[in-house]
Amino acid sequence: MGNLIWHEYSRLVSITASVCRCALLYTKNDHSRAITDAIWASFFGLFYRKFFWDFVGGTLRDPGGIQPSPNAEFFITIIVKIPLVQILSNILAASILAIELPLPQVKQFSLYRSIVGRIVLLLFQVFLTILFYQGTNAAIWSLIAVICYGRSLMLGETMQEAKDNRGKAGMA
Amino acid sequence: MGESWFRREFMVPRRLAFNVLFYGAHLSLFIYGWYSQATNQRLAGLNSLKYSVWTSRGAGLVLAFDGGLILLPMLRNIIRIIRPKLTWAFPADENIWFHRQVAYSLAFWAMVHTTAHYVNFINVERTQIRKQTALQIHYTQPGGITGHFMLLIMVLMYSTAHQKIRQQCFEAFWYTHHLAFFFMLGLYTHATGCFVRDTVDPDYIPTFPFYSTEHCLGYLSWRFIIWPGIIYFGERVWREIRARRATRLSKVLVHPSGAMELRIIKPSFKYTAGQWLFIQIPELSRFQWHPFTITSAPEDPYVSIHIRQVGDFTRGLGDRLGVGPSDKMSGMSRGDYVELDPAGSSIALPSVRIDGPYGAPAEDVFGAEVAILIGAGIGVTPFASILKHIWYRQKKGKLGSLRRVEFFWVCRDAPSFGWFQSLLQEVEAAQADRELHVLAANFLRINVYLTQKISEDMLWNIAVNDAGAEYDPLTLLRSRTMFGRPDWMTIFGQMKQAIEGGQYLPGSTSQLKTKVATYFCGPGALAKAIKDATVSHTNSNVEFTFAKEHF
Repeated sequence: MGNLIWHEYSRLVSITASVCRCALLYTKNDHSRAITDAIWASFFGLFYRKFFWDFVGGTLRDPGGIQPSPNAEFFITIIVKIPLVQILSNILAASILAIELPLPQVKQFSLYRSIVGRIVLLLFQVFLTILFYQGTNAAIWSLIAVICYGRSLMLGETMQEAKDNRGKAGMA
Repeated sequence: MGESWFRREFMVPRRLAFNVLFYGAHLSLFIYGWYSQATNQRLAGLNSLKYSVWTSRGAGLVLAFDGGLILLPMLRNIIRIIRPKLTWAFPADENIWFHRQVAYSLAFWAMVHTTAHYVNFINVERTQIRKQTALQIHYTQPGGITGHFMLLIMVLMYSTAHQKIRQQCFEAFWYTHHLAFFFMLGLYTHATGCFVRDTVDPDYIPTFPFYSTEHCLGYLSWRFIIWPGIIYFGERVWREIRARRATRLSKVLVHPSGAMELRIIKPSFKYTAGQWLFIQIPELSRFQWHPFTITSAPEDPYVSIHIRQVGDFTRGLGDRLGVGPSDKMSGMSRGDYVELDPAGSSIALPSVRIDGPYGAPAEDVFGAEVAILIGAGIGVTPFASILKHIWYRQKKGKLGSLRRVEFFWVCRDAPSFGWFQSLLQEVEAAQADRELHVLAANFLRINVYLTQKISEDMLWNIAVNDAGAEYDPLTLLRSRTMFGRPDWMTIFGQMKQAIEGGQYLPGSTSQLKTKVATYFCGPGALAKAIKDATVSHTNSNVEFTFAKEHF
């Protein structure tokens, strides 16, 4: 029956996933107040640094928790010692948000209308957020957004070019 | 927007009361949940996790509260029953708005709760106060599994409930929202893992609820919040049973604008004027229920609804009945209709099921002395039933305290609502008959306002045809159409003066307070203008009340 415009739906999921943890709230005025998940997760991932996959080959110590196996040394460096992954995913999530909400300055770029571009960014986000402890939900939701965008690509949906207020009074 | 957020949320007494009660309750529950965890000696072990565990317990209690509240506004049948008694206490017609407020709050506290638990579990792992890893708690214990599951459901439900998505594809919203069933299961079983305990291992028992309350010291909130869930489930079952009762589509009338009038016979269906129902046509869609306003009066031997062919469902119905846009009928003039009778026509009428009725404030017209009914655009539909009903009551002489009815119809272009005009004609003609009786004179006055810009040609056309004609050329009513937007302040002001002067209601003494009930159905901006007019003209002699309907 009704036709779902998939990329518009995907946008909502993507915003949710990017903002990070929870849900997006829309007020009556259709004004978005989003509480983001990837941003939020990667933000407090800075304080509680943990490699999600450290249980692979790790040993449980009391106290101290899981000590990751030496093979995971590389990930420990970029997640626990220097929170590089968290910082990167935070920046990435912020940029996805800037495209999705969108930030007025972003509207002029072709990336704003590119569904493929979004899929690539979201896949990066999946890849980054899956690495650290807080990011799993963000990763799953980003993946859902990717799937929905993929569906919109298959259906051949396109995004309209933003209208710059043409035909304002007094312009002619 | 004109009006600031602060003014809207805090300067309106009712809204202020709601904000204080709603957010106050949330905050106090949070504080209580925090405090009773922090001071519980038996939970000293958990309390070594400090702030994160206090926050998670507090937010958890708030979430339980919200989980109990969220279904309350959806108990449509119960709301319909208690509504007339409680309109003074809370706006029962704003149930969807309330549902949304609870949902927003639910999302916020879910974020607080989940964040706190992420911190809890990582600290449990680091300190090993329980011999577990964080991921074991997250993904192998009931609390963690149901929690993540509920979050995922929330993402899907909230995102498909967005206004834009609902308009694009109502089905996506409608079907996804039924995930609420699993969400509720998750909510009620979230604590079965006995995370909050004073023992090393969870104290499971073989009998319901499968953990011992001796050592599992959660708030046991599911005992309270499961009731709305059970009642809601019962309501859905009841609606299904009710919908299965004998229903027959007896007649379909097709009006010239393509609007279809479905006349349905269902003896078990009792309703009052101004209510609405859900209809399902299994042939078109097995599971979808579509809301429509009832346009027949309770006195009629049938239930009728008018369906304009605008959406895909309604167009599908048109095609099914052979009157869709593809097979357009021609040569019909306004006021005519074609009757599809199963006996004479080759098309068999589809089977239908109806569910309802559900409430609307215009039910209580007969309590006031003067009723002002204002319909804007498509918002005029509930008044069809009300006007018919008033007419029936008038015939029987049982009008209650109602003395006069003013009916306003504000619309952009009248011709697209041809079916409604024919109905108005009937009612108006009936009035003309009764004008012989002195008492009934001027009982109903119809005011039609056309707000659309009219072209010069049309203007001349109207001018030529209107002069001296008995009927208005546009609406074919006796009442003349007025052009432009009505000025509500003046209209209400004049009415107040007329009532106070005693001309409006002959025989009414000016010492008594006259109650004027205003009912409006249409867009929000107009509602506000009318409400302002009612408020500013209320004084000790005349009381204007205002009620707005929703779809």
